[in-house]
Amino acid sequence: MTASDATNPTPAQLLELARDPINLFVLVSLLAMLVAFLVAFSQVRFWGLILRNVWRNKARAALTIGSTVVCMGLMMLLLAFITVQNASVSSLRAYNRIVTMSSQGFGQVVPIKYVSDIETEFAEWIVAATPYSWYGGKLGEEQLPFAQFAVDPAKFVQIYTEYEIPEDQKQAWLNDPAGCLIGYKIAEDRGYKIGDTIPLVSDIYEFPLELTVRAIYRAPAATSQRVCFFHWNYLEEGLKTKAEGRNAGNAGVVVTKCREARAMPELCARIDGLNASSQYPTRTQTEEAFAAQFAEFLGDLPTIIRNIGMAVVFVLVCVAGNTMAMAIRERVVELSVMRALGFVRRQVFLLVLIESLALTLIGGVIGAIGTKLWLDWFDVSKYAGGFVAAFYVTWPTALAGLSVAFWVGLLSGVPAAARAASIPVVAGLRKVV
Amino acid sequence: MTGSDWAIELREVSKTYHRDQFEVPVLDRLNLEVEEGEFLALMGPSGSGKTTLLNLIAGLDFATEGEVIVHGQDLGVLSEDEITRWRGENVGFIFQTYNLVPVLTAFENVELPLLLTNLPRSRRRRNVATALKVVGLGDRMDHYPRQLSGGQEQRVSIARAIVTDPYLIVADEPTGDLDRHSAEEILDLLEILNREFEKTIVMVTHDPRAAERARRILRLDKGQLVGDDTRPSHDHDHDHGPREVALASSQVNGEERSS
Repeated sequence: MTASDATNPTPAQLLELARDPINLFVLVSLLAMLVAFLVAFSQVRFWGLILRNVWRNKARAALTIGSTVVCMGLMMLLLAFITVQNASVSSLRAYNRIVTMSSQGFGQVVPIKYVSDIETEFAEWIVAATPYSWYGGKLGEEQLPFAQFAVDPAKFVQIYTEYEIPEDQKQAWLNDPAGCLIGYKIAEDRGYKIGDTIPLVSDIYEFPLELTVRAIYRAPAATSQRVCFFHWNYLEEGLKTKAEGRNAGNAGVVVTKCREARAMPELCARIDGLNASSQYPTRTQTEEAFAAQFAEFLGDLPTIIRNIGMAVVFVLVCVAGNTMAMAIRERVVELSVMRALGFVRRQVFLLVLIESLALTLIGGVIGAIGTKLWLDWFDVSKYAGGFVAAFYVTWPTALAGLSVAFWVGLLSGVPAAARAASIPVVAGLRKVV
Repeated sequence: MTGSDWAIELREVSKTYHRDQFEVPVLDRLNLEVEEGEFLALMGPSGSGKTTLLNLIAGLDFATEGEVIVHGQDLGVLSEDEITRWRGENVGFIFQTYNLVPVLTAFENVELPLLLTNLPRSRRRRNVATALKVVGLGDRMDHYPRQLSGGQEQRVSIARAIVTDPYLIVADEPTGDLDRHSAEEILDLLEILNREFEKTIVMVTHDPRAAERARRILRLDKGQLVGDDTRPSHDHDHDHGPREVALASSQVNGEERSS
């Protein structure tokens, strides 16, 4: 695909994009906004009057715009969560990895021997397999500073090929049993350098870690840059010296990289078949499906968010509609004077509608685009303990927010505009003329 | 259009309002002819129908029966949009409570009806400046209504009424909210518009002193014309020349709000 292919999508690609309901909504809304702008441009002589009417009651305008900003901002955060989850999960599809966990869920662990079993039984199918065990260590008083996993480093670098690790650092990590690999954002956040030590104490394992930073990785955008990987053997040896080796010998889960994607379903079934009659039966699935489980813990979040979004839109329509209704009620005489001076009904309708759109679009731009720019600048994932790779609002999501603000303005403005246009001039002027 | 030679002609005009299930007759088979360039005052007690008559002449309302012909145009045959555009081109309005747009400056208020025309910006600015100078507010263009006295607001309102160079000016109690001094100023201006600019003016007023400035006084009662006094031109005590008025106007620029 050439650069021009990327910038000039084919009709088939556009059709594919339009199949997504959100993309279709944004597309239709952008077209409607374009039409609205052209209509508004035909009234350019009155923009000064329109904008002054928007700000006429500053407190009311500020409250309406403020509520739009807050609602749009919250909506952006909720949508960003879904977007990030989906992007993070779907990005895993490309790496041909499967995860073997206890059939009772990932709260339980699988024995370490399963790693060698998989490597032995399915040597021709796989690239490598590694234990992947959650340590859950505290850093001083910090309960969840970042995620830490015990892995087999030699296998890890074969399996997680998308991680960029300088070669000399990689070798240093492989060769130091107490060495660790950390994401570059951990290093940035905490000022860690190669050679620094990270003391961790876990509530799960009785063996505290004294890790030395040996390597720092960078990974693709959808992957967390705030994870610490260390030698599984270091933990295992330590546990054997403590409390009769409690919790020793477990792999957490086993991550396996397959040679071919098409073999993954069969391999999953075979691994589970191998362990079916053991004391620790397993459930093996693709890494994508494994990651999706975490999203499922939150229930049907998209539906909840959609319902919240609908409620937010309804509230916004009411708030903006009430603002416009009050504005028109206060200006009955003024609007009647304008009609007396020669403003036809259609013109009064347009002026009030543009005013309503301006009110909500100001809030929409600040709320939707502002939240997007804020999240681009401010790294929220820093406070998610490494569980959220990144937290951002995509441009389509921001444009969806702006579109919502546009429709809110239209829905709330039409009744007010219709009312303004239908004011009987004589009654409106009362006894003035 | 009709072949009427009158500036305003009413033929057998009746107006009835519907209030719930009741019919309220306001004007009853009224006939009236007004010459071009006439300054007409409508007087009468409350409920006599003078404002309704003014509304019909100004094209703000339609007669229930009869014909209202202004500047040769039968208003009864025009659609809502047509009569609105006709008003914009032919009628200047002066209201008792000024009715300026509070968020616009004096200049922008006067410019408002011109925004409906195709005049270029430079021409609009020139016309607005001229209109404000005529009413003696050339130095108050950037002031908002809240920064002006009642008399000054009314003069801005007059500037707005004349900026489109309308055929007819209608004024409802133009001095009703003003102190005596400011009222005299406004009446002086109306006289100038009538005499120097040859505008046909129809003014509703309760104030006999205001009515005296008109050349013709019509008295209404219960929807009927009960009096029609035409007086010789320019025979009253307030016959100031335009320069005197402009000078007088400039002297009241700093006055307090009257109400």
